[in-house]
Order: sequence, then C-alpha cells, then structure tokens
Amino acid sequence: MALSTHTTPSGFLLPSIHSAPPFFTEQPNPTTQSTATEQWIRLILTYARHKKLFNLRVEDAEIAESDWEEILRNERINRRILPNHLSNIIATMVSKNLAAYEPPKQARSVLVFWRLPEEWAEVLYDWVRLYQLVSCFHWPLNTILTFYDITDPPSGSPLGNIPVPLLRRAIVILGKTGRSQTIAITDGEGVRFLPRAK
Amino acid sequence: MSLRRYTRAVDGTIPIQALLYNDEELLASQDSVGIYDGSQKAPDHQNGVVHVTTHRLFFLNTHKAHSKSFELSLSFIIQTEYYAGLFKSSAKVTCHLSGDPIDLGSIEGGAAHAQFDSWECEVCAYRNPPGLSPAAARICALCGVPRTALPPPTTSVSSSHLSSSLPTSTLSSSTSLTSASRSSSGHKPTSIACPACTFLNHPSLRSCEICSTELPQPRGELRSAPSSRPITPDPDDDDDPSSLKAIKISFRKGGDKSFYAALKRSLKSKAWENNALGTNLSRDANSPDSGIGNPVGRTGISGILRTVESSTKGRETDMKDALQDLEALMVKAKDMVKLAAELNEKLTAVSASNHSATPEPEEATFIRSSLSQLGLQMTNTPVTLDMMKDERRWYDELARELARVLQGQPANDGSITGGMMKDRGIIALDEVWGGWNRARGVALIPPSTFLQVLPHLSAHTDPIICHQAFASGLNVLHTPPYTPAAFGARLYGFLMMNGAKTTVEISAEENLTVALVTEMLDAVERDGGICRDDSAAAIAGGGSGTGSEVRWWGNVFHGYMWDGQEV
Repeated sequence: MALSTHTTPSGFLLPSIHSAPPFFTEQPNPTTQSTATEQWIRLILTYARHKKLFNLRVEDAEIAESDWEEILRNERINRRILPNHLSNIIATMVSKNLAAYEPPKQARSVLVFWRLPEEWAEVLYDWVRLYQLVSCFHWPLNTILTFYDITDPPSGSPLGNIPVPLLRRAIVILGKTGRSQTIAITDGEGVRFLPRAK
Repeated sequence: MSLRRYTRAVDGTIPIQALLYNDEELLASQDSVGIYDGSQKAPDHQNGVVHVTTHRLFFLNTHKAHSKSFELSLSFIIQTEYYAGLFKSSAKVTCHLSGDPIDLGSIEGGAAHAQFDSWECEVCAYRNPPGLSPAAARICALCGVPRTALPPPTTSVSSSHLSSSLPTSTLSSSTSLTSASRSSSGHKPTSIACPACTFLNHPSLRSCEICSTELPQPRGELRSAPSSRPITPDPDDDDDPSSLKAIKISFRKGGDKSFYAALKRSLKSKAWENNALGTNLSRDANSPDSGIGNPVGRTGISGILRTVESSTKGRETDMKDALQDLEALMVKAKDMVKLAAELNEKLTAVSASNHSATPEPEEATFIRSSLSQLGLQMTNTPVTLDMMKDERRWYDELARELARVLQGQPANDGSITGGMMKDRGIIALDEVWGGWNRARGVALIPPSTFLQVLPHLSAHTDPIICHQAFASGLNVLHTPPYTPAAFGARLYGFLMMNGAKTTVEISAEENLTVALVTEMLDAVERDGGICRDDSAAAIAGGGSGTGSEVRWWGNVFHGYMWDGQEV
C-alpha cells in the first residue's frame, strides 16, 4: 500500500505518514511510538505555523470542526487521533519545551510554540524597531506601548493575534537582556522598549 | 421322607465355598460318604462329599452333582448319634431331625430371597448387602430391626406342598415368595394359613377350620376368590408319624471321627441362632413376650449408636497403629541418614590423607554416587565425576529419545515416519511434554527433568529444534523457520505484499493457532518489526467497544523521512 502526501483545502501539504492508519494508533513498542510522536509533533508545529494557531486542546481530537481538523483526522482512511493519544503527545511537547500548558496547572490545553519564546522576543523587538522607524514622528524612541497596541496594531504585524501569555514570555526575555521594561500605566500594563545595549 | 422334607436341593457343581453365606464358615469335609434316609439307604445319595459348616450340612453328590446334591440346615438337628462301625458296616453318624416344616418353608423362601437380593431397611434406610445367612439377612445389620417385607406365615401352605414332590419344591417356594411379596404390596391373599396347622382357611373365617386356632386377620378388604393351590394336606405330611425322622451319614472311607467332632462343635455353637431374631419373631408373632429373646442392644437407636461407636473405635485403633508404624519408620530413616553421613565423612578423611594425586578408589566413588542416588547426598560431598558423566549421558539419551518423538523414527528406506513436529514447525511445550510421556507410557518424565533435557535437544535434531520462551511465559519448541527473526522477516514480506492483516488472517496464512500467532506477533512487535492499527481510532464504525480489531502493518515509522510541508 503506497503512502502518498496530500494537500489540504487550506493549502497545507500533509506528509505521507498521515495516510498510514498505524499513525493514529498508539504503538506499544516504545521505540516505534517515540518515532511516531516525533512525527506528530513536527506535523502539529508545521500546521500551527501554517494556520497561525496558538492553542491546542485535547478536546480538539474529539470535535469534528476544530482548527486542527485537517491533521487530527483523516477522512480518507477513516482514522482520527484518540484524545488519550493526543494528550500523551502534548505531554511530550511540553517536556520538550515545544509547548506550555495554558492556563498552567492543567494538562488539557497548551500554547504551541511554533516559534520558541526566544524567537518571538526577537520578532517582537524587530517589529518595534521597524514600527518606530516608520512612525518616528508620532512616537519618540523609548515609546511605551500597551499589550493591545502590539497584538492589534493599526497595520499588519507578524505578532497579530499572539496570545497575551506568550507575548508576556517574550517581553520577559527581552527584559532580561535589557531591551524592554514593563511598567504600569493607567489602563493596565505597558512596555517601554529600550535601544539595544551596545 | 425326612431327607425330602428337611433338605433343599443345591447345585453340587458349584464349589462349596461359593455356596456359603457371607457369615458362614466351612468346618470340615469328608468324601466317600453315603446317606441313609431314616433307616433306609437313600439310593440317589450313595457316593458324595459331605461338608459341615457353622450353619448347614452339605452333601454334594459325586456322580449326579447337579441334581442329587442337597443342603440341610443344622437348626433341624436335635440330636446326633455316633456308630463306630463293625466288620463290614462302616461308621455312621445319625442326625435326628425335628422342626416345623412351616419354618422350613419360610426360611427357605427367605433364604432364596435374601441370598440374591440386597434390601433397604425401612427404619434406618441402611442398604443390607446380599449373601448373609437367612437368619442374619432377616434383620437389618445396622439397626437390628427385622425386615418387614419378609414372607408372613401365610406361606406355610407352600411347605405342605413342598413335601409332595422334591423337584418342584424350589419352584413352589418361589411362588409362595412372590405371592407373599404381592400380598405385602397390596394384593390381598385369597386364603389365610393357620399359624398352627398350616391349613389354608377361607379368608372370611375367624378361626381355623381344623384346629380352631385363632387366625391372623388379613388387612384391608377380603376376597372370596378360591385359591388355585391345593388346600388339602399332603398325605406325605403325616402318613407315618412313627417313622424315624433322621438321616444317617455313612463314612465308607473313614474320617468319621474328626467330622463328627466338627459337627458336634458346630451344633453346640449354634451359629444360626445368634442372629435368629427374625425366626423368633415370625414364629411367636402373636405372643406378647417375643421381644425377650432378642439379642440385647441390636435394635433401636441405641443399637445404631453402638454400631457407629464401635466402628469409630476400630478406625481409631487402626489409625493409631498406622501412625506408630510411621514413627518407627522415621526413627529408622534418621539412623540411615546418620550412617550415610558417617560413611561420607570417613571417605573424605581417607581421600584427604591419601593425597589428592591418587584418585579415589572405585568403591568409594560407587558408594558416594549410590548415596546421592538414594537422596542421601551430604552437602560437603563433591559431585563426583562419574555422577556427572552419568547425568550427562542420561540427559543426552533422553534428548535423543525426545528427538525421535518429535521428528519421527528414520525408517529402513530412509523416509521419516510420524513425529509430533512432522507437519508443524512450532509446538507448545506442554503439548510436547504430554506427547512424550504418552509415547513413553511408563517411567514418566517429570517437568523438571524435561526442562533440563531441552538444551540438549538441538544436538540431536535435524533440522535443529530450539526452545523459545515468549514474554507471556508460553514456551515453545520450533524449527529454524520459526525463530523470531525468520518469522519477522517472513511476516514483513507478507504484509508488504498483501497489505495490513489481522491476527486471524496471519494465523490462517501460517497455519498456526491464533493464540500462538498472537504471542509471535507480540514478540515481533516488541522488536519493532511491525506496528498496529487499532480500529478503535476509526472516525466511523470503529469505536472502542465491539468490533475493535487490530490490523498489523509493517513498521511504517522505521526509516520514515518527513515529506510533508516544510516551514
């Protein structure tokens, strides 16, 4: 039985392993299962990047019309991943620091790090620098931006729709390198971006 | 006359031992004797063997053993006389007979019945075995209550009939028996026998027509149907009251003295009366003090209790004896072990003093291996070389034998016949063990020895048969095509060619049992050769409940390279 890749309606290229029924069954053999899990994680991260998805919940395995439907189910071979299986994959992702439980202290939903928080921090800093450059007449350097300004800017942004917890992680990372400062403002929290320390 | 009246025909072709009751004992025998009926020689009984037992006197005719042999109950003998013989007249023993022919009839009837039938006591439901003497068979062996189904005195009529012709006597007594049992099971007798003179009276009469004795009242409704049996007394019965009621035993070839002594002894001991409760009861059924003659403690609940108690006591004694024997044996065994230890220590000391360069004498080795074979091996004994050699050879021989059982015996023409693994490449260990022991028939191999033989098996088999244990604990013997590696490779090729298969389909392909294939698949999966597709993961139709089945795939993950969307 030849396995082949498949392009989804959203334009995502599914790997050939996705059309193999054993991919959707947990394998008792630990070596086999770890290989399968690796492929699953890669699939999830690639797909999340493709669709800009941040949240993955165990329930997504059971809901027919979730954002993840295209990879968690395969109608062509009549297979879907079982919630238990997905939960184990999620646990592995968290242990590999490729995801984080959000909210913390539960194991039903995660933030998927298709970019690591460190990468997000760089993306954010680059975007702020670019933003300041474009609108230097409006905002002087050392401008204070609210979270809302970042997640929902007037023009497009690579950070659009980024969940606040992930944004906070990125800002913390920037703060550790002295490039940002979290301050309290009247309507919540704001961030002051500092020039890169030479 | 008396011969006919008091004796009963027996089949003389049967050995005497088989004619005895269970509680009867043979006391003396004498051959070459003749019988006198009264003072006349009985023409049909002139040469035979006479036996005296605790209960009876047997005469077994030498020539016409089948028809002319008889038995005589000792209870009829009231007196004996001894005549030592003179000139040509041989020694004789005269037995004077007396007794009621009524009694005779009922006893014979009861005997014929009780001898061939076991019966259940109506009081305690104990099943009495057959084969007891008539008197003993009449009462229950456990509770001592008389058997109620015994022929009532009505049967007396048959005995008067009995005396009319000897050959039919057994027949008539048996008919009387059946009529008696019929009467007891509901059919009413057509006439009532007088307990005193045995005359058959019309059932509506209250007292005997002849002697005016009061008649026992029949239960239930009376019938006036006339009896089909003769009612008139037989002329034989009292035609010659003065004739001698006796038989004489003439000892033609001696042996008379010892026989007479035995007869006297038997008559004196009155074994037939010990249990003669039933006789008393049936005879004195109407007298109020009939119970006085009963042996004490035989009846009722106390009788049952006593019987149980005595049997318990007997068992206890037996047990105690057995335990004492066992203890004695243990003491002896201790001595044996001590002896073995001493012997062994002596041998060790001798060999130590002799220096190790010189080998132990053959005798010492022999003693040691004998001790070890007896299970008396001491801990400080080294395992001697010849023991090792023996054991090795023993296992090797066993392995060779097992190989023959598994692979068959090479016939003369070179072809191989039979063998458990002739058509099968893999076979469970328990089946092998069972099959081997079945083939051996005797001196069965214990499982421990069997397991020790297995490593030697590969040396004697062609193709090599190996032992494999699965993770579940299942042990098998298999030929090279069924090693895990060979099977895995074959399976992988099969799955690649034919797509995913279920366990059942694979077992059909391999022609093995499903359970065995399950074990083998598990082993291959553990090695990463295959992976599974559980239909529980189906979107439609699968489900975790019924119909969930596993299909096996080649390991699709092995060596897989990502061919999906790149970043």
